[in-house]
Amino acid sequence: MSVRPPAVGMVSLVGHYAGSVSRFLAYAIDLVVGAGLFALALAATSFVAEVVTGHSINWNRSNIVVAIIFAAWQFFYFGYSWAASGRTVGMAILGLRVVQADGAGLDPWRGIVRALVFPLSFLFFGLGFLGILVQREHRALHDLIAGSAVVYTWDARAARLRFLAREAGIRLTPSTGGDAVPVRITDR
Amino acid sequence: MDPLDRLRSVGRRITDPAELIAQQVAERVIELLVGALDINGLAARVDLNAVLRRVDLDEILTRIDVNVLLKRVDMSILLDKIDMNAVLDRVDVGAVVDRVDFNDVVRRIDMDALVEQADLGAVIARSSGGAAGEALDLARSQAVGLDQFIDRWVRRMFRRKHPDPLAPPALLPARAEQ
Repeated sequence: MSVRPPAVGMVSLVGHYAGSVSRFLAYAIDLVVGAGLFALALAATSFVAEVVTGHSINWNRSNIVVAIIFAAWQFFYFGYSWAASGRTVGMAILGLRVVQADGAGLDPWRGIVRALVFPLSFLFFGLGFLGILVQREHRALHDLIAGSAVVYTWDARAARLRFLAREAGIRLTPSTGGDAVPVRITDR
Repeated sequence: MDPLDRLRSVGRRITDPAELIAQQVAERVIELLVGALDINGLAARVDLNAVLRRVDLDEILTRIDVNVLLKRVDMSILLDKIDMNAVLDRVDVGAVVDRVDFNDVVRRIDMDALVEQADLGAVIARSSGGAAGEALDLARSQAVGLDQFIDRWVRRMFRRKHPDPLAPPALLPARAEQ
Protein backbone atom coordinates (compact mmCIF):
# COMPACT_ATOMS: atom_id res chain seq x y z
CA MET A 1 0.00 0.00 0.00
CA SER A 2 1.42 3.36 -0.91
CA VAL A 3 1.28 6.15 1.62
CA ARG A 4 0.38 9.55 0.36
CA PRO A 5 2.79 12.30 1.29
CA PRO A 6 1.37 15.23 3.27
CA ALA A 7 -0.80 17.48 1.15
CA VAL A 8 1.22 20.48 2.20
CA GLY A 9 4.92 20.85 2.77
CA MET A 10 6.65 22.22 -0.28
CA VAL A 11 6.96 25.53 1.57
CA SER A 12 7.31 26.27 5.23
CA LEU A 13 4.13 27.77 6.62
CA VAL A 14 5.78 29.32 9.64
CA GLY A 15 4.40 32.82 10.12
CA HIS A 16 1.51 32.43 7.67
CA TYR A 17 -1.97 33.45 8.80
CA ALA A 18 -3.71 30.40 10.19
CA GLY A 19 -6.93 29.19 8.59
CA SER A 20 -10.35 28.40 9.97
CA VAL A 21 -10.13 24.62 10.35
CA SER A 22 -6.88 24.66 12.32
CA ARG A 23 -8.22 27.38 14.59
CA PHE A 24 -11.56 25.65 15.12
CA LEU A 25 -9.85 22.36 15.98
CA ALA A 26 -7.53 24.15 18.40
CA TYR A 27 -10.52 25.78 20.09
CA ALA A 28 -12.34 22.44 20.29
CA ILE A 29 -9.33 20.88 22.01
CA ASP A 30 -9.16 23.84 24.39
CA LEU A 31 -12.83 23.43 25.24
CA VAL A 32 -12.28 19.76 26.09
CA VAL A 33 -9.11 20.47 28.07
CA GLY A 34 -10.67 23.47 29.87
CA ALA A 35 -13.88 21.63 30.71
CA GLY A 36 -11.95 18.53 31.77
CA LEU A 37 -9.70 20.49 34.09
CA PHE A 38 -12.72 22.33 35.50
CA ALA A 39 -14.53 19.05 36.15
CA LEU A 40 -11.43 17.66 37.82
CA ALA A 41 -11.17 20.77 39.99
CA LEU A 42 -14.85 20.47 41.01
CA ALA A 43 -14.40 16.79 41.82
CA ALA A 44 -11.30 17.53 43.88
CA THR A 45 -13.11 20.31 45.72
CA SER A 46 -16.04 18.00 46.45
CA PHE A 47 -13.69 15.32 47.75
CA VAL A 48 -11.84 17.71 50.01
CA ALA A 49 -15.11 19.25 51.29
CA GLU A 50 -16.50 15.80 52.02
CA VAL A 51 -13.38 14.78 53.88
CA VAL A 52 -13.28 17.98 55.92
CA THR A 53 -16.99 18.61 56.58
CA GLY A 54 -18.50 15.19 55.99
CA HIS A 55 -21.02 16.63 53.57
CA SER A 56 -20.85 16.07 49.84
CA ILE A 57 -21.36 18.95 47.41
CA ASN A 58 -23.63 18.46 44.43
CA TRP A 59 -22.58 20.74 41.62
CA ASN A 60 -25.46 21.81 39.43
CA ARG A 61 -24.83 23.12 35.94
CA SER A 62 -27.68 25.59 36.25
CA ASN A 63 -26.20 26.95 39.44
CA ILE A 64 -25.23 30.55 38.79
CA VAL A 65 -22.19 30.29 41.04
CA VAL A 66 -20.85 27.35 39.06
CA ALA A 67 -21.51 29.20 35.80
CA ILE A 68 -19.65 32.26 37.04
CA ILE A 69 -16.72 30.16 38.27
CA PHE A 70 -16.64 28.34 34.93
CA ALA A 71 -16.64 31.65 33.02
CA ALA A 72 -13.84 32.93 35.24
CA TRP A 73 -11.89 29.73 34.71
CA GLN A 74 -12.32 30.00 30.96
CA PHE A 75 -11.12 33.58 31.05
CA PHE A 76 -8.14 32.55 33.17
CA TYR A 77 -7.34 29.56 30.95
CA PHE A 78 -7.34 31.54 27.69
CA GLY A 79 -6.11 34.84 29.12
CA TYR A 80 -3.17 33.32 30.96
CA SER A 81 -2.19 31.10 28.01
CA TRP A 82 -2.26 33.96 25.51
CA ALA A 83 -0.57 36.44 27.83
CA ALA A 84 2.16 34.02 28.91
CA SER A 85 3.05 32.27 25.67
CA GLY A 86 0.63 33.37 22.97
CA ARG A 87 -0.80 29.89 22.70
CA THR A 88 -3.20 27.55 24.46
CA VAL A 89 -2.89 23.77 24.69
CA GLY A 90 -5.06 23.32 21.61
CA MET A 91 -3.06 25.89 19.66
CA ALA A 92 0.19 24.19 20.66
CA ILE A 93 -1.15 20.87 19.39
CA LEU A 94 -2.25 22.38 16.08
CA GLY A 95 0.96 24.44 15.75
CA LEU A 96 -0.60 27.91 16.08
CA ARG A 97 0.35 31.07 17.94
CA VAL A 98 -1.28 34.42 18.64
CA VAL A 99 0.88 37.38 17.62
CA GLN A 100 0.29 41.08 17.29
CA ALA A 101 -1.24 42.30 14.05
CA ASP A 102 2.20 43.33 12.78
CA GLY A 103 3.68 39.94 13.62
CA ALA A 104 5.54 40.88 16.80
CA GLY A 105 5.21 38.80 19.93
CA LEU A 106 1.93 39.34 21.76
CA ASP A 107 2.06 41.77 24.66
CA PRO A 108 0.63 40.20 27.83
CA TRP A 109 -2.02 42.89 28.16
CA ARG A 110 -3.18 42.21 24.60
CA GLY A 111 -3.55 38.57 25.53
CA ILE A 112 -5.77 39.53 28.44
CA VAL A 113 -7.81 41.94 26.28
CA ARG A 114 -8.21 39.20 23.69
CA ALA A 115 -9.56 36.85 26.36
CA LEU A 116 -11.94 39.56 27.63
CA VAL A 117 -13.42 40.37 24.23
CA PHE A 118 -13.35 36.78 23.01
CA PRO A 119 -17.04 36.19 24.00
CA LEU A 120 -18.09 39.06 21.74
CA SER A 121 -17.29 36.93 18.72
CA PHE A 122 -20.00 34.48 19.83
CA LEU A 123 -22.71 37.15 19.66
CA PHE A 124 -25.22 37.05 16.81
CA PHE A 125 -24.65 33.36 16.11
CA GLY A 126 -20.91 33.65 16.10
CA LEU A 127 -20.84 36.45 13.56
CA GLY A 128 -17.53 37.66 14.97
CA PHE A 129 -15.82 34.44 13.86
CA LEU A 130 -16.81 35.06 10.27
CA GLY A 131 -13.72 37.21 9.93
CA ILE A 132 -11.56 34.07 10.15
CA LEU A 133 -13.21 32.88 6.95
CA VAL A 134 -13.61 36.02 4.90
CA GLN A 135 -11.15 38.58 6.25
CA ARG A 136 -7.92 38.71 4.26
CA GLU A 137 -5.79 38.22 7.34
CA HIS A 138 -8.15 35.66 8.88
CA ARG A 139 -8.79 37.88 11.88
CA ALA A 140 -11.92 37.42 13.97
CA LEU A 141 -13.71 40.22 15.83
CA HIS A 142 -11.70 39.64 19.01
CA ASP A 143 -8.49 39.74 16.93
CA LEU A 144 -9.46 43.08 15.43
CA ILE A 145 -10.28 44.55 18.84
CA ALA A 146 -7.15 43.20 20.56
CA GLY A 147 -4.89 43.94 17.57
CA SER A 148 -3.85 40.33 17.25
CA ALA A 149 -3.60 37.66 14.58
CA VAL A 150 -3.09 33.90 14.60
CA VAL A 151 -0.24 32.36 12.63
CA TYR A 152 1.15 28.91 12.04
CA THR A 153 4.25 27.93 13.96
CA TRP A 154 4.30 24.51 12.37
CA ASP A 155 7.00 24.01 9.77
CA ALA A 156 5.25 22.12 7.01
CA ARG A 157 8.45 21.65 5.01
CA ALA A 158 10.25 20.08 7.98
CA ALA A 159 7.24 17.81 8.47
CA ARG A 160 7.48 16.77 4.85
CA LEU A 161 11.18 15.97 5.28
CA ARG A 162 10.33 13.90 8.35
CA PHE A 163 7.69 12.08 6.34
CA LEU A 164 10.15 11.35 3.53
CA ALA A 165 12.73 10.25 6.09
CA ARG A 166 10.27 7.82 7.61
CA GLU A 167 9.49 6.48 4.17
CA ALA A 168 13.21 6.12 3.47
CA GLY A 169 13.58 4.36 6.83
CA ILE A 170 11.49 1.46 5.52
CA ARG A 171 13.85 -0.52 3.34
CA LEU A 172 13.36 -3.79 1.57
CA THR A 173 16.18 -6.05 2.69
CA PRO A 174 16.62 -9.58 1.31
CA SER A 175 15.84 -12.38 3.77
CA THR A 176 17.56 -15.76 3.78
CA GLY A 177 14.88 -17.20 1.51
CA GLY A 178 15.46 -14.51 -1.05
CA ASP A 179 12.15 -12.75 -0.37
CA ALA A 180 12.03 -9.11 0.58
CA VAL A 181 10.78 -8.12 4.00
CA PRO A 182 10.25 -4.55 5.15
CA VAL A 183 12.63 -3.51 7.91
CA ARG A 184 12.60 -0.17 9.60
CA ILE A 185 16.09 1.21 9.84
CA THR A 186 15.17 2.88 13.11
CA ASP A 187 14.46 -0.56 14.57
CA ARG A 188 17.92 -1.87 13.87
CA MET B 1 93.49 4.37 -72.51
CA ASP B 2 92.69 7.91 -71.67
CA PRO B 3 95.93 9.78 -70.78
CA LEU B 4 93.97 11.67 -68.15
CA ASP B 5 93.15 8.45 -66.31
CA ARG B 6 96.82 7.89 -65.61
CA LEU B 7 97.09 11.38 -64.20
CA ARG B 8 94.00 10.80 -62.04
CA SER B 9 95.38 7.56 -60.63
CA VAL B 10 98.66 9.27 -59.80
CA GLY B 11 96.77 12.09 -58.13
CA ARG B 12 94.68 9.63 -56.03
CA ARG B 13 97.81 7.88 -54.88
CA ILE B 14 99.05 11.21 -53.54
CA THR B 15 95.79 12.74 -52.19
CA ASP B 16 94.37 9.67 -50.41
CA PRO B 17 97.23 9.25 -47.94
CA ALA B 18 97.36 13.02 -47.51
CA GLU B 19 93.66 13.13 -46.70
CA LEU B 20 94.05 10.30 -44.21
CA ILE B 21 96.93 12.07 -42.53
CA ALA B 22 94.97 15.33 -42.42
CA GLN B 23 91.98 13.61 -40.81
CA GLN B 24 94.16 11.93 -38.20
CA VAL B 25 95.85 15.23 -37.45
CA ALA B 26 92.54 17.03 -37.17
CA GLU B 27 91.13 14.40 -34.79
CA ARG B 28 94.20 14.62 -32.64
CA VAL B 29 94.08 18.40 -32.58
CA ILE B 30 90.43 18.44 -31.60
CA GLU B 31 91.07 15.87 -28.91
CA LEU B 32 93.90 17.96 -27.50
CA LEU B 33 91.78 21.11 -27.76
CA VAL B 34 88.75 19.62 -25.99
CA GLY B 35 91.02 18.18 -23.34
CA ALA B 36 92.52 21.58 -22.79
CA LEU B 37 89.17 23.38 -22.68
CA ASP B 38 87.35 23.95 -19.36
CA ILE B 39 83.77 23.29 -20.48
CA ASN B 40 82.32 24.23 -17.10
CA GLY B 41 84.22 27.45 -17.15
CA LEU B 42 83.00 28.12 -20.63
CA ALA B 43 79.40 27.35 -19.67
CA ALA B 44 79.70 29.67 -16.69
CA ARG B 45 80.68 32.47 -19.05
CA VAL B 46 77.61 31.96 -21.18
CA ASP B 47 74.70 34.23 -20.25
CA LEU B 48 71.89 31.66 -20.38
CA ASN B 49 69.30 34.27 -19.45
CA ALA B 50 70.21 36.23 -22.53
CA VAL B 51 69.96 33.06 -24.56
CA LEU B 52 66.61 32.19 -23.08
CA ARG B 53 65.33 35.70 -23.70
CA ARG B 54 65.89 35.07 -27.36
CA VAL B 55 63.89 31.85 -27.25
CA ASP B 56 60.25 32.12 -28.27
CA LEU B 57 58.73 29.84 -25.63
CA ASP B 58 55.19 30.34 -26.95
CA GLU B 59 56.20 28.93 -30.26
CA ILE B 60 57.84 25.97 -28.57
CA LEU B 61 54.80 25.34 -26.41
CA THR B 62 52.47 25.48 -29.39
CA ARG B 63 54.53 22.70 -30.91
CA ILE B 64 54.25 20.55 -27.80
CA ASP B 65 51.28 18.22 -27.43
CA VAL B 66 50.66 18.68 -23.72
CA ASN B 67 48.19 15.82 -23.57
CA VAL B 68 50.80 13.41 -24.85
CA LEU B 69 53.26 14.85 -22.38
CA LEU B 70 50.84 14.44 -19.48
CA LYS B 71 50.12 10.86 -20.47
CA ARG B 72 53.77 10.12 -19.93
CA VAL B 73 53.80 11.76 -16.50
CA ASP B 74 53.33 9.50 -13.50
CA MET B 75 50.92 11.66 -11.51
CA SER B 76 51.14 9.50 -8.41
CA ILE B 77 54.87 10.19 -8.13
CA LEU B 78 54.21 13.86 -8.74
CA LEU B 79 51.50 13.96 -6.09
CA ASP B 80 53.70 12.10 -3.65
CA LYS B 81 56.19 14.90 -3.92
CA ILE B 82 53.59 17.61 -3.28
CA ASP B 83 53.03 18.65 0.32
CA MET B 84 49.29 19.18 0.18
CA ASN B 85 49.22 20.63 3.68
CA ALA B 86 51.67 23.29 2.61
CA VAL B 87 49.56 24.00 -0.47
CA LEU B 88 46.37 24.20 1.56
CA ASP B 89 48.06 26.46 4.10
CA ARG B 90 48.54 28.94 1.30
CA VAL B 91 44.87 28.78 0.25
CA ASP B 92 42.58 31.46 1.64
CA VAL B 93 39.61 29.24 2.38
CA GLY B 94 37.56 32.20 3.59
CA ALA B 95 37.92 33.91 0.22
CA VAL B 96 36.93 30.70 -1.56
CA VAL B 97 33.88 30.27 0.66
CA ASP B 98 32.90 33.92 0.13
CA ARG B 99 32.78 33.28 -3.59
CA VAL B 100 30.42 30.31 -3.23
CA ASP B 101 26.71 31.03 -3.57
CA PHE B 102 25.43 28.57 -1.01
CA ASN B 103 21.81 29.51 -1.65
CA ASP B 104 22.28 28.44 -5.23
CA VAL B 105 23.96 25.23 -4.08
CA VAL B 106 21.10 24.45 -1.72
CA ARG B 107 18.54 25.22 -4.42
CA ARG B 108 20.22 22.65 -6.64
CA ILE B 109 19.85 19.92 -4.02
CA ASP B 110 17.01 17.51 -4.59
CA MET B 111 15.88 17.27 -0.98
CA ASP B 112 13.53 14.38 -1.67
CA ALA B 113 16.35 12.37 -3.19
CA LEU B 114 18.66 13.44 -0.39
CA VAL B 115 16.50 12.16 2.43
CA GLU B 116 15.90 8.97 0.54
CA GLN B 117 19.53 8.16 1.25
CA ALA B 118 19.20 5.60 4.00
CA ASP B 119 21.61 7.02 6.55
CA LEU B 120 20.35 10.59 6.44
CA GLY B 121 16.76 9.37 6.44
CA ALA B 122 17.41 7.29 9.52
CA VAL B 123 18.99 10.22 11.33
CA ILE B 124 16.05 12.49 10.62
CA ALA B 125 13.54 9.75 11.41
CA ARG B 126 15.22 9.17 14.77
CA SER B 127 14.93 12.86 15.58
CA SER B 128 11.29 13.13 14.58
CA GLY B 129 9.79 12.03 17.90
CA GLY B 130 8.32 8.70 16.88
CA ALA B 131 4.67 7.83 16.45
CA ALA B 132 3.34 10.84 18.38
CA GLY B 133 5.24 13.25 16.16
CA GLU B 134 4.09 11.37 13.09
CA ALA B 135 0.43 11.60 14.18
CA LEU B 136 0.83 15.28 15.03
CA ASP B 137 2.36 16.03 11.64
CA LEU B 138 -0.43 14.15 9.94
CA ALA B 139 -3.20 15.94 11.88
CA ARG B 140 -1.64 19.34 11.29
CA SER B 141 -1.08 18.74 7.60
CA GLN B 142 -4.68 17.61 7.18
CA ALA B 143 -5.95 20.69 9.01
CA VAL B 144 -3.73 23.00 6.97
CA GLY B 145 -4.85 21.26 3.79
CA LEU B 146 -8.47 21.97 4.71
CA ASP B 147 -7.56 25.57 5.62
CA GLN B 148 -6.11 26.08 2.16
CA PHE B 149 -9.06 24.35 0.50
CA ILE B 150 -11.54 26.67 2.25
CA ASP B 151 -9.37 29.69 1.48
CA ARG B 152 -9.43 28.87 -2.21
CA TRP B 153 -13.23 28.63 -2.21
CA VAL B 154 -13.69 31.86 -0.27
CA ARG B 155 -11.38 33.64 -2.70
CA ARG B 156 -13.34 32.22 -5.61
CA MET B 157 -16.62 33.20 -3.98
CA PHE B 158 -15.52 36.80 -3.44
CA ARG B 159 -13.75 36.85 -6.83
CA ARG B 160 -10.60 38.27 -5.35
CA LYS B 161 -8.04 39.04 -7.98
CA HIS B 162 -5.23 40.19 -5.71
CA PRO B 163 -3.53 37.62 -3.50
CA ASP B 164 -4.21 37.82 0.22
CA PRO B 165 -1.30 38.71 2.51
CA LEU B 166 0.41 35.54 3.60
CA ALA B 167 1.83 36.72 6.90
CA PRO B 168 2.07 39.74 9.19
CA PRO B 169 4.76 42.25 8.08
CA ALA B 170 7.21 41.39 10.85
CA LEU B 171 7.13 37.73 9.91
CA LEU B 172 7.55 38.27 6.18
CA PRO B 173 11.40 38.52 6.14
CA ALA B 174 11.73 35.27 8.08
CA ARG B 175 9.34 33.64 5.64
CA ALA B 176 11.24 34.98 2.63
CA GLU B 177 14.47 33.40 3.85
CA GLN B 178 12.88 29.98 3.97
